[in-house]
Amino acid sequence: MLAALDRKLLRDIGRMKGQTIAVSLVMACGLMMMTTTRSLIRTLEGTRETYYQTNRMADVFGYVKRAPLAAADRLAEIAGVAAVEPRVVVDVTLDLPGVDEPATGHIVSLPEEKPQSLHLIFLRSGRMPQIGERREVVVSEAFAEANHLQPGDTLAAVINGHRDTLRIVGIGLSPEFVFEARAGETLPDNKRFGVIWMNYHAVAIAYNLDGAFNDFCIDLAPGANAATVIEEADRLLARYGAAGAYTRKDHASAARLNDELRVLHALSVAYPVIFLSVAAFMVNAVLARLVRLQREQIAQLKALGYSSRDVGWHYLKFALVIVVIGTIIGSIAGRFMGEWFVNLYTIFFRFPALDFRMDWSALGLALLISSAAATVGVIGVVRQAVKLPPAEAMRPEPPADFKPSWLERLGFTRWFSPQFRMALRNIERRPWQAVFTIAGLALATGLMVLPGAMSDSLNYLLTYQWNMAQRQDVVVFLTEPGSGKAFHDLEHLPGVVTAEPVRSVQARIHFGPHTRKIPITGTPRGGNLNRLLDSKGNTIVPPEEGIVMSAKLAEVLGARLGDEVQIEVLEGQRAKRTAPISGLIEDFAGIAAYMDLRAIRRLLREDSTINGAYLTVDNARWPDFMREIKDTPRSSIVLIKKEQLAAFRKTTGQMVNTLRAFYFVLAVIVAFGVVYNSARIALSERNRDLATLRVVGFSQREVAAVLLGELTILVLAALPFGLLFGRGLVGYILSAVSTEAVRMPVRIELTTYSVALTVVLSAAVASFAVVSRMLRKLDLVGVLKARD
Amino acid sequence: MASPVFLAQGLRKVYHTGEVDVVALSGVDVEFHEGELVVLLGPSGSGKSTLLNIMGGLDVPTSGTLDYKGWSLTHADEKTLTQFRRSCVGFVFQFYNLIPSLTARENVALITDISRDPMKPEDALELVGLGPRMDHFPSQLSGGEQQRVAIARAIAKRPEVLLCDEPTGALDVTTGLTVLEAIEQINRELGTLAVIITHNAAMAEMADRVLHLSDGHIVKTRSNETRMPVRSLQW
Repeated sequence: MLAALDRKLLRDIGRMKGQTIAVSLVMACGLMMMTTTRSLIRTLEGTRETYYQTNRMADVFGYVKRAPLAAADRLAEIAGVAAVEPRVVVDVTLDLPGVDEPATGHIVSLPEEKPQSLHLIFLRSGRMPQIGERREVVVSEAFAEANHLQPGDTLAAVINGHRDTLRIVGIGLSPEFVFEARAGETLPDNKRFGVIWMNYHAVAIAYNLDGAFNDFCIDLAPGANAATVIEEADRLLARYGAAGAYTRKDHASAARLNDELRVLHALSVAYPVIFLSVAAFMVNAVLARLVRLQREQIAQLKALGYSSRDVGWHYLKFALVIVVIGTIIGSIAGRFMGEWFVNLYTIFFRFPALDFRMDWSALGLALLISSAAATVGVIGVVRQAVKLPPAEAMRPEPPADFKPSWLERLGFTRWFSPQFRMALRNIERRPWQAVFTIAGLALATGLMVLPGAMSDSLNYLLTYQWNMAQRQDVVVFLTEPGSGKAFHDLEHLPGVVTAEPVRSVQARIHFGPHTRKIPITGTPRGGNLNRLLDSKGNTIVPPEEGIVMSAKLAEVLGARLGDEVQIEVLEGQRAKRTAPISGLIEDFAGIAAYMDLRAIRRLLREDSTINGAYLTVDNARWPDFMREIKDTPRSSIVLIKKEQLAAFRKTTGQMVNTLRAFYFVLAVIVAFGVVYNSARIALSERNRDLATLRVVGFSQREVAAVLLGELTILVLAALPFGLLFGRGLVGYILSAVSTEAVRMPVRIELTTYSVALTVVLSAAVASFAVVSRMLRKLDLVGVLKARD
Repeated sequence: MASPVFLAQGLRKVYHTGEVDVVALSGVDVEFHEGELVVLLGPSGSGKSTLLNIMGGLDVPTSGTLDYKGWSLTHADEKTLTQFRRSCVGFVFQFYNLIPSLTARENVALITDISRDPMKPEDALELVGLGPRMDHFPSQLSGGEQQRVAIARAIAKRPEVLLCDEPTGALDVTTGLTVLEAIEQINRELGTLAVIITHNAAMAEMADRVLHLSDGHIVKTRSNETRMPVRSLQW
């Protein structure tokens, strides 16, 4: 049997269902963001941990030029090493039927004498290559899907200059390629990049590496120190051309996953805080009004013998009902959104299974936090209500205390109509209510700026990166550094208009305690294809002495323009030298370092070597160029700009559109909810005033103008703050989602601001319309005859 | 006799509340004349407020007719009724219904701003004896003062009719008398038809005519030879 007081509660809620729903929805938005992000964290972290453990992701990685297999045994003897897997890893050019451009196959060898000890392949379909089979391969799932490949299909590859046909026997996944892209690539291009696993002997013999390895991974024993193992491994392998071992932190795929988790962690705090603060205020405003309205009822309850605590608890329950509704909607929506995002993640991250895992603890936490927020919102109001002696509370409330607003005190009175004065004085009498209404609307406006700004930033980034900085059509890398002749060959490929040589080398750059392993690219003086631009858009030319690097790299190293950094080349003679930072590049994807081509060659004690070239190609001769480059034995990686751009737009475009729709919905809910709630409260607080105006002869429209005038002032006041907040939010979110791999520049176009304003104003107008309808139904006589 | 300000014939009002029909007025025939001061007496639920509300354009009759100076209010639409209230009728309620965020002067100005030939707000307030307190907010005024502001607000547009629903209901005797004096003075000096609803039989003595209502009918009409001055009323 429901207590009488609880029946009252239910009816009060029923009467105020519009506001109850509005507040619950805003609360639900915050809780949804919280459940979504926290569940995604749980899903990604949980899946990653299981996958890494079950399929034995290594702890340390490295490559060498050519080391005998015996060296791997010595690696295994290093204290703290649990397992070592020596491998041959090479990039080859693939010729896919129906695809003009060459694709890159990243071949990883499979041990034949014993089973894989690390990076165990998860077979999605088919089988592993049979021992001794030279042409059987397993290909990575994302690549197979993008190119519609299945076990039984064949694949044409140029392996060390020889065209060969490989037979696909299985489709698989590996924990080292959760993010399946070329090292350093920002986004996957699954059509043109895939991993191919084949038997060791087949690939080792082709590359003259039989009995040797050029890549290794190490599993550390529990409690082992990675730094000492790396130091020892580098020392052991130095004479085999070791390029320096590194941990998971620097592993391309693992780092991308880490970045994503870092972003989620940041968002899982920021969003709920914003939304729940607004919701707490709304609860406060609704309850404060309810308690004021029920002043006499409270007095009667107390006269009947209910304690202050009973009455307080009664109103607190109202707030808790809102919390419960918000939590239910928020968690259902959060689960739904989470599953949607998980699907989106499968574009970027490949796991044997990425099943959404609901973070139930987030739900508990959400309930706790929003209850606390609601309680904080309610407690003051209730305390005030129960404090009043019943006899006093049963008398009608004296007229509210008003005074001229500060604008009037400044002497502007004569320009104001009585209606405008009412609005100003009402706002000034409850400044906090006004502040929070403005804050809520500013939040909605800011949220609306976000999706547009994301597109704006992305467009700017693409234009900048692809039109201003990178002006080549194609980048070609060679499998081995070549002489001037190699460059001559590339230069004379059909259709090539301009060509610029590139010599890049793996190096470690040290500054103070910080170190980064990164290729340094030598570019020719006067080169014009890959332009290095500073933050003002000026071209930087690397000087003879000195190094030019991404501003982000300098930041990571803690160095500034002019600081001397230590360069340790990880190839050949492993030369070391210092060089001043002579320029900082404003780039948005990855980190890079450049030197003058001649300086690099001097450092390497080489003459005219290259290991790649930037090319521009005549459009008319594009097919000829493509045909020729596919058959060029020494080219291993060919990056075609327009393909990269298309892939980038496709993947991020989908992501940005999704987020855009998502933020749009949130912003509309908040904008409508806040305006509607404020309008309802204003209506109930002033129904007597408004009825009086109607009785003395004001028309519907004139009365609506009085009520909505005040809200309009608040809405208009909120918009500039909203735009400023939006600018700040964009800055915060973009810096939170910026990683070494991608940095989003903050660019907001005028149209983005206009759209935000339009949407918020429309939401305001819509809630005005709803409230105006209620105003028409106002019972004039009833209101005026009732004691307030 | 001059034509009446209000002419009601067979006025009937039925409220449908849930499944019950409540008959508030059942066939009232009555006239009200210019310059009259009429008191409506009767117990709760007798229909006096309903009659007043229909006369004031706050409600419409279910059947019967009501003419205001020859114009029919019986089937007037919302817009016409708003216009009627705006120019012809002044209301005074038991609870003063002042706008708390406006001063006495501004509360009156609210009406004078939208009227065709209003008094100055200051003059209206002088008329009810509130000249010195016109820049006070409602919270700074006593109950009687607030009610007098409400009267000033009602008469500032120079209405033909002043309708008062229990104007002294929330006031003590002395304050109540002050308020009645104000109404009487307006009626006398401006010639405004004043209709006052009350439970208080003592107030009948100040009227030209007293209508007794019961169960939606006018059960008794009494005309006073002379109106008793408000100050000599006692209750």
